Amino acid sequence: MDLVLQLLFTGIGIGSVYALVALGFVLIFRATNVVNFAQGEFSMVAAFFMVMFSVKLGLPYWLAFIVSLIGMGVLGAVFNLAVYYPLRHRTYLPVIISTIGASILLANATLAIHGPEPEVLSGWFDTPGFLVGPVYLDSQYLLIIAVTALLVVLQYWFFEHTLLGKKLQATSQDKEMAALLGIPVALMIMVTFVYSAVIGGLAGILVAPVLFVSIHMGATIALKAFAATIIGGFGDVTGAIIGGLALGIIETFGAAYVSVPYKDGFAFLVLVAFLVFRPQGIFGERVAEKA
Amino acid sequence: MLVTRRLVTAGLAAGIASPALIRSAGAQGATVKIGMVTPMTGAAAESGSFAQTGAKIALEQVNKAGGVLGKPLELVMEDDQTTNPGAVLAFSKLASQPDIVAFLGSIRSTQNHAMAPDMLKIGKPVGFGGTDPNLTKLGNPWLFRFRPNDAYSGKVIAQYGGKELGKKKWAIVHSTDAFGTAGAKALAESLPENGATLALDQGYANQSQDFTPVVLAVRQSGADILGTYFTFETDLGIFARQLRQLGVTIPWVGSPSIVNVSALKLAGPALYNTYGVADYAEDSSEAAKAFGKAYREVRKVAPDNQSSWTYDAVVVLAMAMNKAGTTEPGKVREALLAIRGHKGAEGEYNFDKNGDGLHGYNIVKNEKGDIKFDKRIDFTPNLG
Amino acid sequence: MSTTATADAGAVRPRIRWGLPAYIVLVAAAIAFAVIAPKTGYILNISLQATTYAIAVLGLTVVLGLCGQINLAQAAFFGLGAYAVGLGQTDYGVNFWVCLLVGTGIAAMFGAILGASTLRLGGHYLAMVTISFQQIVTLVLINWIPVTKGPDGVRAIPRPVLFTDGSAYLALCIGVLGLLGYLVWRLRDTRLGRAMRAVRDNELAAGVAGIDVYRTKVTAFALSAMLGGIGGGLFAGGFAYVSPDQFSFAESVVFLTMVLLGGVASPIGAAIGTGLLIVLPEWLRFLKAIPGLYLAIYGAAVILIVLFMPDGIWGFVRSRLDRFKRPSAVVAVPPLQLAGGGTGAETVLEARDLSKHFGGLKAVDEVDIAVRRGGVHALIGPNGSGKTTTLNVLSGLYKATSGGIILNGRDITTLPPHARTAAGMGRTFQNIRLFRSMTALENVTVGAERPGGPVSGDAAAVVERARAALAFVGLEHRADEVVAGFSYGHQRAIEIARALASDPVLLLLDEPGAGLNSSEKVELRDLLKRISARGLTIMIIDHDMTLVTEVAHHITVLNFGRRIADGTPADVLAHPDVIAAYLGTAPDAAA
Repeated sequence: MDLVLQLLFTGIGIGSVYALVALGFVLIFRATNVVNFAQGEFSMVAAFFMVMFSVKLGLPYWLAFIVSLIGMGVLGAVFNLAVYYPLRHRTYLPVIISTIGASILLANATLAIHGPEPEVLSGWFDTPGFLVGPVYLDSQYLLIIAVTALLVVLQYWFFEHTLLGKKLQATSQDKEMAALLGIPVALMIMVTFVYSAVIGGLAGILVAPVLFVSIHMGATIALKAFAATIIGGFGDVTGAIIGGLALGIIETFGAAYVSVPYKDGFAFLVLVAFLVFRPQGIFGERVAEKA
Repeated sequence: MLVTRRLVTAGLAAGIASPALIRSAGAQGATVKIGMVTPMTGAAAESGSFAQTGAKIALEQVNKAGGVLGKPLELVMEDDQTTNPGAVLAFSKLASQPDIVAFLGSIRSTQNHAMAPDMLKIGKPVGFGGTDPNLTKLGNPWLFRFRPNDAYSGKVIAQYGGKELGKKKWAIVHSTDAFGTAGAKALAESLPENGATLALDQGYANQSQDFTPVVLAVRQSGADILGTYFTFETDLGIFARQLRQLGVTIPWVGSPSIVNVSALKLAGPALYNTYGVADYAEDSSEAAKAFGKAYREVRKVAPDNQSSWTYDAVVVLAMAMNKAGTTEPGKVREALLAIRGHKGAEGEYNFDKNGDGLHGYNIVKNEKGDIKFDKRIDFTPNLG
Repeated sequence: MSTTATADAGAVRPRIRWGLPAYIVLVAAAIAFAVIAPKTGYILNISLQATTYAIAVLGLTVVLGLCGQINLAQAAFFGLGAYAVGLGQTDYGVNFWVCLLVGTGIAAMFGAILGASTLRLGGHYLAMVTISFQQIVTLVLINWIPVTKGPDGVRAIPRPVLFTDGSAYLALCIGVLGLLGYLVWRLRDTRLGRAMRAVRDNELAAGVAGIDVYRTKVTAFALSAMLGGIGGGLFAGGFAYVSPDQFSFAESVVFLTMVLLGGVASPIGAAIGTGLLIVLPEWLRFLKAIPGLYLAIYGAAVILIVLFMPDGIWGFVRSRLDRFKRPSAVVAVPPLQLAGGGTGAETVLEARDLSKHFGGLKAVDEVDIAVRRGGVHALIGPNGSGKTTTLNVLSGLYKATSGGIILNGRDITTLPPHARTAAGMGRTFQNIRLFRSMTALENVTVGAERPGGPVSGDAAAVVERARAALAFVGLEHRADEVVAGFSYGHQRAIEIARALASDPVLLLLDEPGAGLNSSEKVELRDLLKRISARGLTIMIIDHDMTLVTEVAHHITVLNFGRRIADGTPADVLAHPDVIAAYLGTAPDAAA
């Protein structure tokens, strides 16, 4: 039982990380119908921002946190202007390739500027964690879980109860209609990219104390988060969260009870099962796109 | 957009046309050149930079002492991108320069395997750091290993754990890559001769984000000692931290990565009181101390095996060429094979007929982040 | 909506007459150069890598360029071929060529399985399935140590007899690439190639035009995987060593980038993209002083090319070359023969108790329709009365909830669209569905090729029939133009010609008059009368009552999914329920 509880906590913790990154995928997908293959690099870049501001420049942790997220917002805007916006009228393929190019660029530009050393980033709390009965709770994972839960609520409030949220929603559902209603579609897409970059950055900063800060931290998380997005359904924010959590738990238990080396395989097997039997995801309402 | 279509097109055209220009420059120079394949980008970019520093320190010392055959020594480096195809292209790019007389291969065994056909073809001495025992058993006469191979590391870990620490029930955790599986196998095979048994043999895939199931498996196995082969420092750091969090405190003897600089920085206290086999230990000998001093002057961090083997390789290659009195590959090879008792940073070099130069490891202990030399365990090589 | 690959607008087939000899000379020169020219190991390795990669990238030209299906697992297929050649020779002592064949077969098999998943999935979802397959292959290569040797990889892989020398082996690879490149080049204009492009441009219309969409996609995937396998097998021989990390997801992305940068529409694009992406990072090596800088520039170059050369480099070059394109000569063609299904029973189409329910909505509710041979049968009704749904059920796009459909004496109730077309059903769509990146002639040729059609087998006869059909609608002189450039009315005519070319038993026209101006409508009316005069049975839906009354011999009226009237035009239009339905609900009856 101790074992199960411990695995469950870890699964939920790592799953929350996937969920946070998946959230960024979903937001951009809903607004633009495009999968952003550079989403993982947003997390990586934000973690390096944090190292730069907090460790190298010595800003207080909270200030470095805010400055890093602002930096991510700017990056999201530049990303939109350089990588997505010029291609907005084309099919999804050139956009995918463009985001792949951006991912190579971001990873290697970070390498060129910072150098290859991985970095340590301290957590938000001084206590690394504590035992509750036989189960060890890592304080940073607790924070990640809390932030994920909070974001679900905020997200709901934002999209359902604010004007900007409703405009964003309208844009993601039908761009032409939204334009006819006088909603500035280009601005809404810009807001989406900025917001997604900030969310992706938030995920990176939160997870950095656990996974360390390295050039390739983004790529592995992003692939899993992508899988989580499919499991949860591309059209749905709650789906991304549930998909992320489910993936984290499946992976952890699969590793514990079946095979550790094939751990990454479970994610993709579950994914294939979903794609074949329920392509719309857990919560998706849309029928599978037909090419 | 400032860049026009035309500019892009023109740039591409120019790009395709010009690599030929670069190569022809500086042939027949007044230097003796050693080519070096090393990661500058990709997952191992960081350790690559250490390796480059080590080689450069050796280069400076060789040149201060008069160079090779009266000419200054020069290093030509190519990026292997931390991938096998990248290594093949990097090596063949170096090999295509006829004035390069010897090479430094990779510290990664698979890359050396990938480059091996080209190394055989070019027929010039290659010093490398990959520790897969098979590499020097391929019948390729040009390969010279400047680190002890994994057959030794497994033996040393097993012997130290069994004889010195007196533990009998092992849990082995290893990466499923070439390095990890080969090392774990050598360790497992050496257990019986030290009166020990295997309680758990657990592989993991590189770049995992979480090791909870692995740590729990170690805890459940009832092992009283842990042996590990980790490839990436980030993995090692996460594992070490979770191991301590979940209350596993059994003695731990790890492969060389456990004492390298990044691992110490990342894992911090989680690695205190662990043991590592280290082909390089700063306090193990006078030569090692001297290298450590020189290294610390260039880089702020402590030296580790990533830099010591390239340092030794450059020094030894230069020495062999000076002894042979020529850069002719066959003669240099013979001079290398004749080296006996050379005291390098990694240990005492005695090349056997396979091309293995080192035959033992140091055991070091992490004392509150400081690496303290504990013991050197050497085996007698067959120098036939 | 179709999510297709970048279309090669303005494409015109290369003139094979001079193209083939020039191509052979080019390949021969490359082979000669490979054998004779002195080259360093570096140049040899780069050339070997580029050549073997290019073969795999050709696979993407097929699956993505021709068929419009995304494949992010090409490196996995490449790896399957490479491991077959590696393990087969070193562990099992099997001959190189046998290994290559087996590896290609295994790759093709997995490709077909992957293609089978396209039954339900497209776009991003398909992308994800292929990524998953890629990841699983990588994990198996790493962890199934007894068979694959795990992460150590397979070393000392021999080359075949006669080709052990590097130059000779490179010549072999160039030869294979040249041959396969030629085949892929020609594939475009074969029946299969046209079917793939039709699926890419408009899956729905492809099915209705008689193409087995699913089988076409599976074939495309299998071919793509085969090319990947061949490339991988040759790669293994070239480098003598393979390990799992050479066939990772990252490599699949590289393959995809290569094909998109070079130009997805042509094998030349595949060659250019591969060459460029292998040479570019090599050339940028001089920037190595700052780690990461050259790969960063490479990433930026990828974005710039995508931004400024939407059709890839070759597409960009070709659009410049096309300015000098000569118009093709008009060829005399015989008049179009329409058999109209011959002389069978008097009723061509019979639908009994036909229903289609969407959840609780009864869009079509127990409708009976009998279409008599040789006439024009109109199906009318106010908006939302279920006309188009009925047509979709008849042509197989929707599955009937209940009821039965008999076409020319054959029960077609459960057949998929392409099989109904094979049985003699032809149709057009309300919102025109042409294969937009293909020429008028190619569009109509797809129709003429229907299985069981009048000329299916003989390629020359098929094209001749397609020309005849185009001539019938008066557009033969513009046969080689891409349809996207035609006016709306002409596109409508091409769509009808596509259906006519298949020599259907029954022609279903879904609002052919929609969106046409008055002079185009007159042309349409005349066209319908000419078709009818040839004895072909037509079933038409339209809102334009003038058009309907002018051409129809028989009218069926639907309202709220039910049949409310059926009979001759005069009787039906006088029917009180019909008058009520139109005046009560839909003011557009007069339109």
